[in-house]
Amino acid sequence: KADAKALLDDRGYSGALIRGQNPALLFEKAVRDRVTESYYWKEQCFGLNAATLCDRAAELTFIGGTYGDMGKPTPFLCLAFKLLQLVPEKEVILEYLNFEDDDEMDDGEEENVLRNDIDQTRRGEFKYLRALAAFYIRLAWEPVEIYRTLEPLLGDFRKIKRRTRQGFTLSYMDQFIDDLLTKDRVCATALWKMQSRTLLEDLDLLEPRESPLGDELDEIDRD
Amino acid sequence: MSDKKKETAGSGDTDFRKTWDKAEYTARAAAHESKEKEESKLRYEAKLAGKKYHRRASTPPDAKDTQARSQRLDVGDLVGKTTLVPVGAATGKRGRGAGFYCEACDLTFKDNVQLIEHYNSKQHLVATGETGEVKRASVQEVRERLRWLKRKKLEESRDEVVGLEGRLELAREREVREREEKRARRNEKRRKTPGGVGVKVEDLGDGVIR
Repeated sequence: KADAKALLDDRGYSGALIRGQNPALLFEKAVRDRVTESYYWKEQCFGLNAATLCDRAAELTFIGGTYGDMGKPTPFLCLAFKLLQLVPEKEVILEYLNFEDDDEMDDGEEENVLRNDIDQTRRGEFKYLRALAAFYIRLAWEPVEIYRTLEPLLGDFRKIKRRTRQGFTLSYMDQFIDDLLTKDRVCATALWKMQSRTLLEDLDLLEPRESPLGDELDEIDRD
Repeated sequence: MSDKKKETAGSGDTDFRKTWDKAEYTARAAAHESKEKEESKLRYEAKLAGKKYHRRASTPPDAKDTQARSQRLDVGDLVGKTTLVPVGAATGKRGRGAGFYCEACDLTFKDNVQLIEHYNSKQHLVATGETGEVKRASVQEVRERLRWLKRKKLEESRDEVVGLEGRLELAREREVREREEKRARRNEKRRKTPGGVGVKVEDLGDGVIR
């Protein structure tokens, strides 16, 4: 399964499904073609598996969708497409999100929530890898899990570089996560419509949101 | 098929005739027959099921799994160089000619995109003895990989020198090292080809049709 031919096959796709359909269909046809014909995809994304993808992600220096007149895809987008092809397991994605270099075993997001309160600076070496994992989560997982996994990331305020059609802009990781949770179209992809948080809270699937700034806001209101 | 085994003893006036090892050839015929029988059986079964029989070449047992490229492809190393090429170099894909060359398949491409597409193709993978399958990674492997990457990044950040003087030094050292390597390589080539000049020679064979 080194190349994407099986994934893009219109007639018979047999492999892991996301929400009952071929994962590649989460990207539009135009974007899929751009990615598959790009030099980065052909040279660097051939024969990747979940581990070697980390090498490529560690070399990323910006996020973005397509840019330029011709709609050239960014390496970020190509790697996201590769993740859609691979459909890694849940634990692997959590590892991408919350990797810390410790000797103890990481059991995913719970650890991270604790750490966020204690030490904001130790949040995983590779912030673009984290952004990539967040993008994949927003595309592939169920709403309850998306909210539960991505909300701790709203405390990550590192700067990230974003490539727009005309050039580069400055953005922040928590702004990117917020865009993923609220906007309709991020990084050249139309994000599938997700139920809003209030709806899920009414259905009792999620607890009401505890914002880290909640205490401060209450104090201000009291004054 | 030049398995000649000369009979010892025997009449002297037929010594010039070719002799064959009968045992080996009977064994080969038997193997061929059994394979044909199997194949005809498979064809029959396929016909009963209404499908067409495709003869599948078996993957060699020591085929390696495909892995991602570890380095970028160096496509610019021939830029600005002048070489002697034979007359038919500009046309056709087979054989060594002008452009990007793949040794395993003996094909030339005019474009680095074509070269990359060829490297990813089934034809080339078979020629290099790789299956087209990629090993699926486990969580442990991912963790190991991330740890290794982090260590590498730390080491690089420790090695890097800040300041113009330091960086100039490093660049100078790197240049000297590269020049040494090139000289060594050139000397090797000179030593290998007679006459002292490293001219690219195309191997046409000895022209005999076998």
